[in-house]
Amino acid sequence: MRVDIYLPLLLTGVFGLVAPGIARRLPPAIAAWLLSIGGLVCAAASGATLAFLGWTLVGQSPDVAADGHWSVPALRNHDLVPRPVAGVALAAFGIALTWTTVLLVRRLRALADAYRLAGSLASHDGQLVVTDDDSLPACAVPGRPGRVIVPAGLLRRLDATERRALLAHERAHIAHRHHLHGTAVALAAAANPMLRRLPAAVALATERWADEDAARHTRRDAVARALRTAALTSRTVATPGSVLGAVGSDVVVRVAALTAPPPRPTAWRILALTAIVAATALATLVAARETERLFELAMHVYRLTH
Amino acid sequence: MSGTRRASGAREAEILAALWAAGRPLTPREVTAAVGDGLAYNTVQTILTRLHDKGAVHREAAGRAHAYTPVLDEAGLAARHMHALLDRGGDSTAVLSRFLGTLDAEQRRIFARLLRTDDEDA
Repeated sequence: MRVDIYLPLLLTGVFGLVAPGIARRLPPAIAAWLLSIGGLVCAAASGATLAFLGWTLVGQSPDVAADGHWSVPALRNHDLVPRPVAGVALAAFGIALTWTTVLLVRRLRALADAYRLAGSLASHDGQLVVTDDDSLPACAVPGRPGRVIVPAGLLRRLDATERRALLAHERAHIAHRHHLHGTAVALAAAANPMLRRLPAAVALATERWADEDAARHTRRDAVARALRTAALTSRTVATPGSVLGAVGSDVVVRVAALTAPPPRPTAWRILALTAIVAATALATLVAARETERLFELAMHVYRLTH
Repeated sequence: MSGTRRASGAREAEILAALWAAGRPLTPREVTAAVGDGLAYNTVQTILTRLHDKGAVHREAAGRAHAYTPVLDEAGLAARHMHALLDRGGDSTAVLSRFLGTLDAEQRRIFARLLRTDDEDA
């Protein structure tokens, strides 16, 4: 039995385990990019690996083998992947593909909803839309153009600098397309449960990113004060089932982060995350090559016997 | 979008937010004071005129100047649209970025306690 063919799965597990913790100590913009790109690469790599493993079993079906001109006994007698493992991999690949497709469709619908909402607001084409209902959250809605929605009550409770901080924060979400980072890791987590901690990590990273942006436009303490005021006075109804549902306590983390200086990009943290992702991609190429070699052998045997 | 246009969009939003926060008609001079941040009176005047042209603010005579209030009609509409989206729940709200993330009642209580303790310590 060979081990290196499973390496992409192992490395994906490592990324899913350590990336959120490492990313937390990086500047949030870098963290969000590393988590979302890394998550996508790892999800694709582990998905492809499951497909390779499963394919060694699918290839043994007489019809497939006849089409592919390779020898079934040659595939059956190889020692690259044990049959039960290939069977489990095939099932896992099917589940991952189905689940990712379902999530993708849901996200595209959500995005369409958001674009419709953004389009239906502000006939005067302004970026800021004020609502007269304090139970609604202050939020950024992606669209063309994206909108910043803020309840009037919150605006009244903030001073000028805090208002500017709130607006700069929401504007940062739209300008940097944070919803795409969120969608990327939601897909990654759907494709591979080992990456399930990434969505919460990216949610925190993008909020922190917007906080740091707002802090650059105003002052760190103003962003923190705006957050405190919003949190202490909000009567916002929490909507269950949202991916943001788990991150409520993030506000405490964000306020704390704003009382400290902005985090520096530490080289080893960036290198460590990049290295895991690069190794995962490389290991997948190796796994692809191993699988290809097996099928080449089976085709060779077929040619000798026909 | 050019940097200048983005910046002027941001200024428009800040001025609109200041008008909403005031809750009464403001003259350009009062808006300049309310927005702060070293914004020039002339810039405020220009942006207020642009907002008025777009129909985002009402203008009324106030002595020799004008006083501005935000147009209220759309606030209720915006709230209804938002509620409709939030009521759908689940994934339809997943692409929204909320200022606070999502706080449920319990989390808010914990958070409020943390902040108050913090304030007493300070």
